[in-house]
Amino acid sequence: MDGNDQTCPKCKTTKYRNPAMILMVNACGHALCESCVELLFAKGSGACPECKCALRRQNFRIQLFEDPAVDKEVDIRKRILKEFNKRQEDFSTLREYNDYLEEVENIIFNLVFDVDSTNTNKMIDNYKKENKDITMKNRNRQSQEEIELEELLEAEKAQQSEKANSYVNAELEEKKQKHKAREKLIDELMFSDADAKSIVASHVQATAALAKEQPKAAAQAGGPVVKSSKFSSGIQIGLRQNTSSFLPIPKQQDLPLFHYSAPVFDYNGPSPPAIEVLGKLKYFANIRAANATERAGGYTEALSCCRALQEAMGGLFYIPQSGHKTAVAASAEETDDMETA
Amino acid sequence: MFATSTQRSFWMFKDENDVSNARLSANIKYISSRGRNMTAEERELQFLNVTEEKILIMSYEYQLRDFCRKFLPPMPRYVIGTALHYLKRFYVNNSVMDYPPKEILVTCVYLACKVEEFNVSMDQFVGNLKGDREKAASIILNNELLLMQQLDYQLTVHNPFRPLEGLMIDMKTRFPTFSDPERLRSGIDEFLEQVFYTDAILIYSPSQISLAAIIHSASTSKENVDEYITKILFSEDQKRLLNLIEAVKKIRVMVRNVQTPHRDVIKALEKKLQLCCNTDNNSESPAFKKRMKQSFDDEESFEDGQYPSADSDQVRSMLMGMSEMGKI
Repeated sequence: MDGNDQTCPKCKTTKYRNPAMILMVNACGHALCESCVELLFAKGSGACPECKCALRRQNFRIQLFEDPAVDKEVDIRKRILKEFNKRQEDFSTLREYNDYLEEVENIIFNLVFDVDSTNTNKMIDNYKKENKDITMKNRNRQSQEEIELEELLEAEKAQQSEKANSYVNAELEEKKQKHKAREKLIDELMFSDADAKSIVASHVQATAALAKEQPKAAAQAGGPVVKSSKFSSGIQIGLRQNTSSFLPIPKQQDLPLFHYSAPVFDYNGPSPPAIEVLGKLKYFANIRAANATERAGGYTEALSCCRALQEAMGGLFYIPQSGHKTAVAASAEETDDMETA
Repeated sequence: MFATSTQRSFWMFKDENDVSNARLSANIKYISSRGRNMTAEERELQFLNVTEEKILIMSYEYQLRDFCRKFLPPMPRYVIGTALHYLKRFYVNNSVMDYPPKEILVTCVYLACKVEEFNVSMDQFVGNLKGDREKAASIILNNELLLMQQLDYQLTVHNPFRPLEGLMIDMKTRFPTFSDPERLRSGIDEFLEQVFYTDAILIYSPSQISLAAIIHSASTSKENVDEYITKILFSEDQKRLLNLIEAVKKIRVMVRNVQTPHRDVIKALEKKLQLCCNTDNNSESPAFKKRMKQSFDDEESFEDGQYPSADSDQVRSMLMGMSEMGKI
């Protein structure tokens, strides 16, 4: 689906022709492009072009979802849930809560699909009357939670801005100090009688000492003032208890350090020449040279030559022995017999 | 490398007797399990004995070679070597009567192609077979796991071809007085072909075999490479030289004693095999078909819709199609 339904049903402009076209959706769930909406209300008539239900300018919202039906449902849901805002704590059993939820969904469904709207509206009004106070209480509760969330967010922001400030301040301080030190050096050179080189040397030492002190001072200043999170009695300030205590990192035991030992090959044959000396020993004359593509991949003649030689030399001293399982079993039996005999 | 390989640790024998003993034990096991109530003479008539089995295996090795020679795309010789190794190893532990060699033969080649990275798809592979291709494909796939299991999943095989190349290179470099060792190639190739029909590959290391090939080929062309061996290869280890000379001698003797089995003998043995073979594993027999059908039915009863539902008619027709297998 390219774009949102692309065509306005009334004027049939597309997103191709007018890329800035925005579809607005109305209370009955049909879409109209912005220009058509203006047209409609400029003429003064307030009827939806598709279903002819009465419309008001306010009821046109910019479409958020591709399918205008979804938008309609979202609107209705928001409206209904403002009224029907009971929570699980308000019910004694889970069953009742579920029944309540089902009732709410039924209402929403009816309103979205225009099923039995008169009855549904009656039900809504009834509910409103009966549950006014509970609704009000829930609303207040919700707003309180929102306030707390906002407070937390603000606290975080404040922290961050203070940190940024402290960094900026620290930088300024450094600059000032450097400036002072330089001026001092110049003054000394001008006015004192001592040797110029020694002055410079002592100055360099002084700056080095200062540089060491600075990080310590910064650490001591300790960043921005952290808001205390606990009362002196140990009770924590603020509602959301998100303090998670991390488990201590398990200590890594001191394992013995890795020590490289080169692998030793037992060829069971005369030892073949090492790969590094193959060229000197003129083996490559007798092997096919590597072409350009092979060399680019990392292959050299030495590799295949070395491997061939290793395989040739390996096993020349081999003396036949029985490794096969039947033979091994047979010899085991023999030794058993010999032992018992 | 060979020295650290499973081939050396698990699939080597001390000498020919050792190999024969292993085969004998497999043979006896089969006969005793099948011919429990027979006298010794009846058994002799009914079942194959070890020497007959050996002759049969050799004929199948020839068949394998022929199959691989005509194979398209052309199969390199190390693949053939590996396939022959597998066939030999399989029938050291199992009797010929137990598993039909024709099926094992194609499975060995297929597995060798995979292991030696000679990529052939199943379609290409059965394209080289005559007869029903789908049936062949299903046979191969059914036997593959069995073959691997009997090989103890130790599939790396060291063939004499790379050591041969290494020795050639070495000779050319360090033994220049011997001009053009390439002359020996044809003799060497012939020797190596023959050595795969013996048990030498199960007794000696591949480099010893390739050295024997060089020596043999040199002596047939009336050349002498002894200087190379004594002075250059074994200059430091004189005592091991004797050991090697022994080994080479024995290998050459084994190769000399290779006899192509006679066709009539083969035919007679095949007939005998048909009578005494294990029908459970032979895909043509009715017992096998029955077993396969049962396994299909069992699977259907367990899972619903998970296996491709083959109703009994389909199964029967599929099994009927497996009527002739022998045209490989």
